[in-house]
Amino acid sequence: MNYDTIVIGAGIAGMLAAIGRAEAGERVLSLSKGHGATHWATGCLDLLDIGDSDPLAGIESVIALHPDHPYALAGIDAVESGAERLRAACESGGYPLVGSLRRNLQVPTAVGTLRTTCLVPVTMAAGDARQLPRQGDGSGPLLIAGFHELRDFFPPMVAANLRTLGFAAEAAYLQMPPHERTLDFSTVSLARLFDQPAFCADVGRQLRQLVQHGIYSRIGMPAVLGLANATQVVSDLQSAAGALIFEIPTLPVSVPGIRLYRALEATLLQAGGRIQIGSFVQRAEGKGKRLEAIYSEAAAREQRHYAARYVLATGGIAGGGVRADHAGVMIETALGLPLRTPNARADWFAVRFLSRSGHPVFRTGVAADAGLRPLDAVGHVVYENVAVAGSALAGCDPIREGALEGVAAATGWKAGRV
Amino acid sequence: MQTISTDVLVIGGGATGLGCVRDLAMRGMRAILVEKGDLTNGTTGRYHGLLHSGGRYVTKDPQSATECAHENAILRRIMPHCLEDTSGFFVITPWDDPSYGDIFAANCRKTEVPVQEISVAEMLRREPALNPQISRVFEVPDGSADSFLAAHTNALSARTYGAQILTYHRVVELIRTGDHVVAAVVEDLRTSERIYVECGFILNTAGAWAGQIAALAGVKVTVVPGKGTMVAMSHRMVNTVINRCKLPADGDIIVPVHTVAVIGTTDIHVPDPDVYGIEPHEVQLMLEEGEKLVPGFTQHRALRAWAGVRPLYKDQDVANDRDISRTYKLLDHQQRDGVDGIISMVGGKWTTYRLMAKDAVDTIAQRLGNTRACRTADEPMPVPDFEHRSGNHAGVGAEKLYWLGKPLAAVEEEHAYGDLICECELVSRARIHAAIASGASNLDDIRRDVRMGMGPCQGGWCIYRTTALLYEQRAQAAENASADRPAFDIEHANAAMLHFLQERWKGLTPVLWGDQLRQARLDELIYIHVLGAHRLISHAEQGGGLVTEER
Repeated sequence: MNYDTIVIGAGIAGMLAAIGRAEAGERVLSLSKGHGATHWATGCLDLLDIGDSDPLAGIESVIALHPDHPYALAGIDAVESGAERLRAACESGGYPLVGSLRRNLQVPTAVGTLRTTCLVPVTMAAGDARQLPRQGDGSGPLLIAGFHELRDFFPPMVAANLRTLGFAAEAAYLQMPPHERTLDFSTVSLARLFDQPAFCADVGRQLRQLVQHGIYSRIGMPAVLGLANATQVVSDLQSAAGALIFEIPTLPVSVPGIRLYRALEATLLQAGGRIQIGSFVQRAEGKGKRLEAIYSEAAAREQRHYAARYVLATGGIAGGGVRADHAGVMIETALGLPLRTPNARADWFAVRFLSRSGHPVFRTGVAADAGLRPLDAVGHVVYENVAVAGSALAGCDPIREGALEGVAAATGWKAGRV
Repeated sequence: MQTISTDVLVIGGGATGLGCVRDLAMRGMRAILVEKGDLTNGTTGRYHGLLHSGGRYVTKDPQSATECAHENAILRRIMPHCLEDTSGFFVITPWDDPSYGDIFAANCRKTEVPVQEISVAEMLRREPALNPQISRVFEVPDGSADSFLAAHTNALSARTYGAQILTYHRVVELIRTGDHVVAAVVEDLRTSERIYVECGFILNTAGAWAGQIAALAGVKVTVVPGKGTMVAMSHRMVNTVINRCKLPADGDIIVPVHTVAVIGTTDIHVPDPDVYGIEPHEVQLMLEEGEKLVPGFTQHRALRAWAGVRPLYKDQDVANDRDISRTYKLLDHQQRDGVDGIISMVGGKWTTYRLMAKDAVDTIAQRLGNTRACRTADEPMPVPDFEHRSGNHAGVGAEKLYWLGKPLAAVEEEHAYGDLICECELVSRARIHAAIASGASNLDDIRRDVRMGMGPCQGGWCIYRTTALLYEQRAQAAENASADRPAFDIEHANAAMLHFLQERWKGLTPVLWGDQLRQARLDELIYIHVLGAHRLISHAEQGGGLVTEER
């Protein structure tokens, strides 16, 4: 089958690009090796880590200072419209994102620090640090509640670190309600249990007792409060407990990330796009400045795909779109595009793992022009009919900059338009 | 300053020191061991884990070979739970001198190292991944040893016999009355409190740091810290120890250790045992040499690289550090330097630690008028608590070799699936709790006890989980006020997490490419994007006295 556009990669960038093309009436195929970073990340939309001020203003400065930055290639309009399209997709899935692109939020993490983000799912909204009870302010304290059985969230640690930040926080472990026997409580299996009304009601009763005892005004819980019906689950738990409830992202696998992916998936299918997961695009065929075909491997069989245009949204090193060998050679894994990367292996890493500036190797990616078309070392377009989006782009470290979903949404949405 | 008194103060909590303190206690002497970090913090915790048959030394260092051969048999008897009876092979590859085979076999016989030539076909049947181009194979009783577990085993036994072991205590001063060392001042690194230790004798077993200790007594001991770099690969591509059949050189041995295979080593003189790095070319060389033994070696995932410093004792001029004898040396400073009350045990290797302890303790016993015989060659060792649940030790499962199925069987038996804190190494919550209860102060201590964080993900999930468990358990202990340890609060937990993340990073950077580089980026996603752990740095810098010093 011939497609108008094939998108390689099914993270936020790839899905938004595919949605844009499909909504414009094109025949679209989304090909990916597996799920994208959605399943690992927080399920929020981080735009730029500049504390709780205006992220769009911050992005405008980034654009002015760094013309090669993916935000600069996308342009401020795409930053806004990409974020809004993501928000609309979630909204129509009954899982709204809340917040303003003009003001960042800070929300608690599973360690008990605050992280900067911009839009959060409604299930996390009550975690806005500006509203959390502080020590000595007279309001009912915050309760962090979880389960011993879940290895990816520890209330005492979260509460203790929040206390060092001046919040009035306490911790409690809940009793696991009766359920069909499960040996392994992953975030996802627990989220499925929360979709069951009886399980949810039992937790609600326990929370109510705790609230009556401790006069808690808010309760932070691991982000496992339902997979299919999270908005409803949180609302039910709030009514039962008599306090505001918010989710805190856990170690991966990310339940809020899966919800986000599902909202995008539903939107793309609705727009007529096709999704094929489990296809690892490993090589391509070009003619002059046009990419003619790509080849994917699935179940030990190579498959050839044709389209008029392609979007590369395979992620960076974490996503597997960029790979290094033991001799220090970096390759772009799907199309074999040239990469912009630090010169020598000796320059790849900072001495400290958590160094503020990050590790130069993770800025490796494909250089692109304002149309997101891939560039070679001397700045010539490699393929006219290819757009690159998301973490596969060179020139930024989306994790360090606190821009992981923002860069994906902006460049992905733009790649679906150019 | 508190004053305590003892018969013998042992300095250094590696294999040798722990062997000594156990032997001393078994002979009824009062003994205290001090170690500036955790047990096995030095070279004992940083070697490849080879139980030597002696084969590596038969030509250049025959005395050492014979010592290894004898001790090998003894250790198998007294501490089988610390050993894996893998067997070992010396193979002649196309890059090796074929005439060395006969010399090797003859020298094995001369040095009492059991040896048997087997056919190449038989070798390839046992190790199908080996290079089929090998021309001759000799089998020797090499094995794989868990030096962490062995250290804890010795410590447990020593304590049972009444010895005292103080970790995170550093000797800051040795006190002399004339030509006699009579006491030491040691500092508790966690509280900065100092203790005055009056002692009849001081036994310096500080390994690569022995020169620094001797200097405190005004005695010169030249220990050459010989850096050996090793790389752990993610698979046991061999289940037996594979040596190149040639004179020992860089990257010529692969040792299967638990879930991984370790290739070693280099031998580079470093001026300071606390300051050394791992150069990319060392790792590259190791991989290339590995490729000669196991084709495709470089395609396996390298998990981490680390280095240990051999405590080679230099008593004469030798040009090459590899030519310094690997045998040990007892330095009687009364005879050698006219300073009484202190002896140093230097050089040697893990396999001969028990013999070294026996010799050192024999000398001290004679001086102190103790006539009880050494029993360490006969008495079997106890199994530490945290190890009981792992299923690794002898007696669980009939298989001779380590395989992940053994801890898995234990996990299944206890229905502990949902309670695996470290999934790579199948470490359950109960084992982490036991390690913390048995005195582990930070995550690195826990890692050495139960292998938490040593698998392919290098701690991505378990560092966070273990930090939280450490906090919960220690904070609770502090609340119960039964703790004889310093108070433990969230700042200590945060510092422990940051310290461990950095320690892992040091071991990872030399081997980051392919999947392991991808894993490192995922760990960044977890610790920076999801957890915001980098925001702990500022307050951790003011807290956290429990982490070891930065190297």
